[in-house]
Amino acid sequence: MHRYELAVLKALQSGEMLSLEELVVRSVLGKDAVLWAIENLSGCGAIESRRESHDEAVLTEEGARYAKGSLPESDMISRAQLEPIAVQSLKDNESRIGLQWAKMQELITIDKGMITITAKGRAAIKSGIPEEQVLKRLLKDSGAVASLLKSNKVQIENLSRRRLIVISSKSAIGGLKITAKGMEMLGGSPKAEEIEALDRKMLSTGSWAGKKFKKYDISVAVEREAAAKKHPLRGMIERMRDVHIAMGFKEFSGPTVIPAFWNFDTLFTPQDHPAREAQDTFYVSHPSSLALGPAGLVSQVKTAHETAWHDDWLAKVAMQAVLRTHTTSLSVQQLYNLARYKDYKMPLKLFTIGKVFRNENVDYKHLLDFYQADGIIVGENLTMANLFDTLIKLYKSLGMKVRFKPAYFPFVEPGAEVQAFYEPRKEWLEVGGTGILRREITGITKKSVTVLAWGLALERPLMIKDDSIQRLTDMYNGGIGWLRQRRLQKW
Amino acid sequence: MAAAEEVAEMVNATFSKAYLFKLLGSELADKRLADQIYKMGLDLEASSDEEITIDFPANRLDLIEIVGFARALRNFMRKGKAAKYEIKGVHIAAQIEVDPSLKDIRPFISAMVVEGIKFNEQSLKHLLNFAEKFTFTYGRQRKKLALGLHNLDTMGTDLRYEAAKDEEFVPLNSKSKMHFSEVLKKTEKGAAYSGTIGGASAKSYPVLRDSKGVISLIPIINSERTKVDVSTKNLFIEITGTSKYTVEKSVDLFAALFIDMGAKVSRVKVSYKGTTSLLPRLQSATMDIPLLAIEGNIGVIIGFNNVISLANKMGYKAGLVGKKVRFWIPEYRLDILNQQDVIEDIAIAYGYDYIQPVPIYAEQAGEYERSTIRNQRVSELMMGLGFSEAMNTHMTNEASNFSDMRLKASDHDHVTVRDAKVQNITMLRTWLLPSLLRNLGASAHEKMPQKIFELDLTFIVSSMGVEEKYKLAGVITDPKSNFNQMKAIIEEILYDLGSTFQVKQNLHSSFIDGRCASVRVDGREIGVFGELHPEVLGNFGIEEPSIAFEIELW
Repeated sequence: MHRYELAVLKALQSGEMLSLEELVVRSVLGKDAVLWAIENLSGCGAIESRRESHDEAVLTEEGARYAKGSLPESDMISRAQLEPIAVQSLKDNESRIGLQWAKMQELITIDKGMITITAKGRAAIKSGIPEEQVLKRLLKDSGAVASLLKSNKVQIENLSRRRLIVISSKSAIGGLKITAKGMEMLGGSPKAEEIEALDRKMLSTGSWAGKKFKKYDISVAVEREAAAKKHPLRGMIERMRDVHIAMGFKEFSGPTVIPAFWNFDTLFTPQDHPAREAQDTFYVSHPSSLALGPAGLVSQVKTAHETAWHDDWLAKVAMQAVLRTHTTSLSVQQLYNLARYKDYKMPLKLFTIGKVFRNENVDYKHLLDFYQADGIIVGENLTMANLFDTLIKLYKSLGMKVRFKPAYFPFVEPGAEVQAFYEPRKEWLEVGGTGILRREITGITKKSVTVLAWGLALERPLMIKDDSIQRLTDMYNGGIGWLRQRRLQKW
Repeated sequence: MAAAEEVAEMVNATFSKAYLFKLLGSELADKRLADQIYKMGLDLEASSDEEITIDFPANRLDLIEIVGFARALRNFMRKGKAAKYEIKGVHIAAQIEVDPSLKDIRPFISAMVVEGIKFNEQSLKHLLNFAEKFTFTYGRQRKKLALGLHNLDTMGTDLRYEAAKDEEFVPLNSKSKMHFSEVLKKTEKGAAYSGTIGGASAKSYPVLRDSKGVISLIPIINSERTKVDVSTKNLFIEITGTSKYTVEKSVDLFAALFIDMGAKVSRVKVSYKGTTSLLPRLQSATMDIPLLAIEGNIGVIIGFNNVISLANKMGYKAGLVGKKVRFWIPEYRLDILNQQDVIEDIAIAYGYDYIQPVPIYAEQAGEYERSTIRNQRVSELMMGLGFSEAMNTHMTNEASNFSDMRLKASDHDHVTVRDAKVQNITMLRTWLLPSLLRNLGASAHEKMPQKIFELDLTFIVSSMGVEEKYKLAGVITDPKSNFNQMKAIIEEILYDLGSTFQVKQNLHSSFIDGRCASVRVDGREIGVFGELHPEVLGNFGIEEPSIAFEIELW
């Protein structure tokens, strides 16, 4: 018997039931050592441990915010109490959530686009909304969930469904007691001829033969082993890459910090276009400008812009360094360097997957940087029908059904939005943009070619595929706990 | 769920359903209306009993006013006929003389006169909303273009567009006179748009005046005198801006709107020194496109007759010229640059849903980038060593990237960004360890050992410019972790990468002195590993001893 096991048994010798903490004190061992000994001793039936489980409710970020302030429906009825509100006037997400819940709970009615408070709503203003009260209580005491589950089951379930709280069951060692077997072990007279642990010597000498193995209690609770896991977003990136490869595309890559020239000008985005403003694009302050490239190319781009947009085109605007806002900025560089692919036959199929950056306010659906897959097919006589065929197959391979809707992107014409069907909500969601690149852009190839192009999201298809991922921000800040909760991507 | 992709450019507008149906000449069931909107490539954003809100492509300004939308919808449903817009008269009284001194401020103006208009609350509201959207989007917040509507019946003669000194006038919705400089400083519009004419401390101001005084401080605010309201019968409309072509072309869009509203539009003579223009020109341009180019671009067989019919559906008049189709570009379209734009319209009219997919035959086999294969293999190796994969944002700040790691930002040349909307975002990370430590600090209560790694790009500035390099970093947080454990891991990784390497005692402020080593491959330092400094652990809220490494991949 190991000295830790012995110390633990001795501490329990009196036969009284001890808590883990008491046992640590009495055994004069560290907590890790005691836990180790408990595991072994329970395994061989020398001690009994009682496990206690209790529910705990953790407020999500959104839940905590509401708990400190108030629920959106509570704001909604306070406003509606003053005067009827036009549904049209509710622009922000929060008010829409408020509207939805207030309506569901019949706190308001909507008639001809106007929101009016109901009698139930007025009563709720006086007495308070039960969900809100429960939420505030949980903020103070996460353990209160056990009693609340009895008294306010409906509210707890609603809050959980709304992902304002996450309920988890924590299991812990309650009390520990020595068994007859344990007493026996202390007495130093283990049952004859029962093998405790198999070892190298027994195996080599064959001394185990004819003896009995001590039976273990297999009902003992264990903590799940934590496997090293691939990041779920990496799984999506690899799937998207493999699908392109399987369809015969060659991968390329390129720089992240580039002059506006490659991000906008070569893609025919006018120099005064709103997308170029610092509110949408990250401008680099060091190094603040980058070289444009060959003079011939620069003058070609200048001419294309000045002809179409009837405004002066300035090299200094194009030289400003930016963090690329789309990977199409890399595709257009391949078009300029088509000579690099002289050993390839047309149609030439290329793709890249990389990070892109937008100067956004970060929330559950916006990130500063996210991934995009960008593909081009360069050839003669390519058509929209070819483009649709390629993307339908690509998404089919990912297990998704897509359709195309006319849409405007400055660098393609005709242009389309790629929409994927999201089964749980039975709705079509935008997953990318596509089209035939404008001639003003493909002109830099100095060839008469048609270029089919697309820019596809990765984070959103991942969320469509894996509904355990609710917020984009989790992907980057989830920490190891979040990673350990992920399951295999079986798609 | 939204965002995170190439976002189509949209502008939205809200229309009264009753007014729309009146313009259409018939009512449409909600479902039918939604269906048409989808097929036209528009997004139905919201719909109530009274109103609909539609997202329009940002280049289709002609659709954003309800009259223009009704015209397009009529054509699309084949209830209308592609109209030809014509203007006969020139309005004599409203002639504009343009002062050359405006050259560096806002040199160009176009204008027109509209007579016999019958406004009601709805039509006026829609028009004013549109004017606001037009100048905000296409006009780039009035910088490129701005629009003014005036009551013609209050106006004098001898219009002059000129650069003026700081004068007084009564601005719109004001009771008393104000100096231009006051308007710029004190009014909401002044604050919003003074930047377009050189800021609040401008020395001279673009103004439009007639024989009775100033009618507009351009592009900020009109005068109270020429205010338009629902009783206004005759309008004077001016557009000013920085591009002659755009100023003169965009007035066509408004001319077409008012002709569709049943008013009489007359031209206005604009005189620059030496040249004069009669505006709106309202000339229809034509484009001849071979049928083969149309069918060859969309990838379907359509035929001449159908192309012409589809063109009509999109508001074009079209006809045959030899083997080509001649398209008369509608006068109100500002977005048609080349034949691709026309072909898109034909494709939309044909219906994207009806384009039958056609496979491409290509011999090419797929090929991975070299770095992709290496990165995948290295990641597999790390997972084999028990490390979970983290993915973090490239964006950070000096405190996290340097100070929290006990480094000085001034010792490193890094890529900085400006004007981030999110607080504390100032730079691109130069290394990965700070991100991993943040991940670990966020999961202090998870079971030990905690092992995570990241493989991604890092950014530094050198004499070569911005250097973007793949790095690999790993951290183990565990009460039992020690230097040699990490040394064993580094040896395994470098063995796997197939390189001979040396490990040397190193001094690095992020690590404990004497428990840190540098890794050199071919005489070049590629990374560092060791036991993290307790102060660093404290900075990231990590409660157990941790060991870490970070190396460049090559």
